[in-house]
Amino acid sequence: MSIAQVNSEIDHDIQKVFANDSVVLREFRENAQRRYQELPEPYFERSSLENRLYSFTPSEATEHAEWQKAVESLVELNSDNPLLVFVNGRLVFLSGMENLPVGVTIKPMREAAQEADVMKLLGSVVPVDENKWTALQSAFWQNGVYIRVSKNAVMPGVIQVVHLTTEKGRGIFPRNLIVADANSQLSVLDLYAALDDVEEELHVGITEVVAAEGSQISYGVISNFPKKTTSYWVRRAKAARDARVDFTVGELGEGYTIGEFGSLLEGEGSASNGHAVALGTGRAHMDLTAKMVHVAKFSQSDTSARGVMQGRAEGIYRGVTHIQKGASGAVGEQSERLLMLSPKSRADAIPTLLIDENDVKCGHAASVGQISEEQLFYLMSRGISEVEAKRMIVWGFLDPVLAALPVDRVRQAVVQILERKMS
Amino acid sequence: MANIPELAIKGLQASVEGKEILKGVDLTVRGGEVHAIMGPNGTGKSTLASSLMGHPKYQITSGSATLDGEDLFAMKVDERARKGLFLAMQYPSEVTGVSNANFLRIAMNSRRGEGNEVPVLKFHKELQSKMKMLSMDASFAERYLNEGFSGGEKKRNEILQMAVLQPRIAILDEIDSGLDIDALKIVAQGVNALRGPEFGVLIITHYQRILDYVKPDYVHVMMQGRIVRSGGQELAEQLEAQGYDWLKEELGIVDETVSAGV
Repeated sequence: MSIAQVNSEIDHDIQKVFANDSVVLREFRENAQRRYQELPEPYFERSSLENRLYSFTPSEATEHAEWQKAVESLVELNSDNPLLVFVNGRLVFLSGMENLPVGVTIKPMREAAQEADVMKLLGSVVPVDENKWTALQSAFWQNGVYIRVSKNAVMPGVIQVVHLTTEKGRGIFPRNLIVADANSQLSVLDLYAALDDVEEELHVGITEVVAAEGSQISYGVISNFPKKTTSYWVRRAKAARDARVDFTVGELGEGYTIGEFGSLLEGEGSASNGHAVALGTGRAHMDLTAKMVHVAKFSQSDTSARGVMQGRAEGIYRGVTHIQKGASGAVGEQSERLLMLSPKSRADAIPTLLIDENDVKCGHAASVGQISEEQLFYLMSRGISEVEAKRMIVWGFLDPVLAALPVDRVRQAVVQILERKMS
Repeated sequence: MANIPELAIKGLQASVEGKEILKGVDLTVRGGEVHAIMGPNGTGKSTLASSLMGHPKYQITSGSATLDGEDLFAMKVDERARKGLFLAMQYPSEVTGVSNANFLRIAMNSRRGEGNEVPVLKFHKELQSKMKMLSMDASFAERYLNEGFSGGEKKRNEILQMAVLQPRIAILDEIDSGLDIDALKIVAQGVNALRGPEFGVLIITHYQRILDYVKPDYVHVMMQGRIVRSGGQELAEQLEAQGYDWLKEELGIVDETVSAGV
């Protein structure tokens, strides 16, 4: 089914499908739907979503009985950490909410968006009509997590969110909103996966992060969709004065992915770091962008990415550091390193520095290559077999990013996924 | 009776990217012996070291090398190492994400073979004591392999690996370059600690200095891709005092580098 057919279905369904939403939210959706219809297909330098095959039936999700095993392979269901599990866009599990500190609110996004102050923030970081796909997402988003930590409050531990797709042909549109009020702290880990037989699935996701003055947010995202999935996502933060937002992004899927993450550094002294790891297997296509926009003085950003491509996978990793006029004293660093493990894999690292101010510091490092002959020789010269030496080099290459993952159990799960895919 | 190792090199010729560098090297290193190969830059010394270890850049075009009677060139790099050959490299690679300790443990276990792995605690004890001997800070164990190490630290780390892996024949490729006198003494001490009938060493160097601390039994001079003169420690001392010109004159060599000697 092509996007044109999706388009016509949206015309008919929006009021019916989202009948339980508030009037304001339905208006938001309808506006987004209109913008979706008006906007042209966006231009992506190295990718195209125009001819992707997927099917998409907008309807309220049904519960799926067998989600538990898949989710348990990623996270512990009954830990002290708050956990929300969405299956096919529907909340099926919620735990660890009993002892939240004062000032911490965690809710399903659909429930939260019935409130006016939440609606005010929806689309405030990622504009509805940024492109056709953000408009599509804004019209059809199903659920996700809403987190708000009030002024000076600290959320201990890591809030975990799982979005699992178990049914083919539905389309999944997760939407998260994370709000940290002044001087608050929180950490979130957001996991996306689908059962292996869910092919030709469509995933369009948006996460908006609003970081008020002096707040500190750590946001980790891991995606692992099976082959033939079409995935488009934007995960963006807006940071006020002295706020700090750190991203950890793991893209492990086998589908066709276009994704962008990063921060708008709007407050003086705000900072954002990003660590990303990408593993392309099979015929995966990954077009990932880390984008840091420095609006304010003395803002800082540092992003590093490591990608490993094998099979016939293609990885494109773009680092964009944009220092706008007026952002004097800004410091922006980026590095992207990609490793090709097979002759038919492809990888491109594209560093981009856009600098409109004089008194700034910027640096970048990019490399694309195969396993270094020198490294391999060195390890083998100590008696380590070629297979083991290659393994050590690849794992070592990924280690700085894996080490940054905030939850042990999740790190182990990611390592297991990597082990399986690289064996 | 001691199991005395022997590295025997006969008529070795090797090239890099089609260019002949080694033009017939004959040399035998046995357990208990210290050999030094000296010579100016560009005479093939490092090529000899890398070719013996099996660096993929170098092609063996003629001649043979055996370790304890086994054909070295029929073995892959890792097999050569497991048989007891060690090369302390001039420019050791940096490997991100692999800790020094982990790397050494895997290397050691590769040599010992499956089912005979060294117990983790025992390994760390041994590692720490050897690091102490080489005046290396304990934190080096957990740092990524050679990453961010200074030149001297890398050299010391090469000797640490040698001390832990206990090879039968070690080749030290310019282990002394870039070391100050204190570091040089420590490195020399690390080499001397291994000396014995079951360990032979080939030291490749520009300078006589390291030979004050690791006394060689044999000194060889390399020019134009072959050994042109062999002697004892007195040869090294003479070279240090007088340079290479007298030798070149004696041998009728104008340009000692490989490119000239065809």
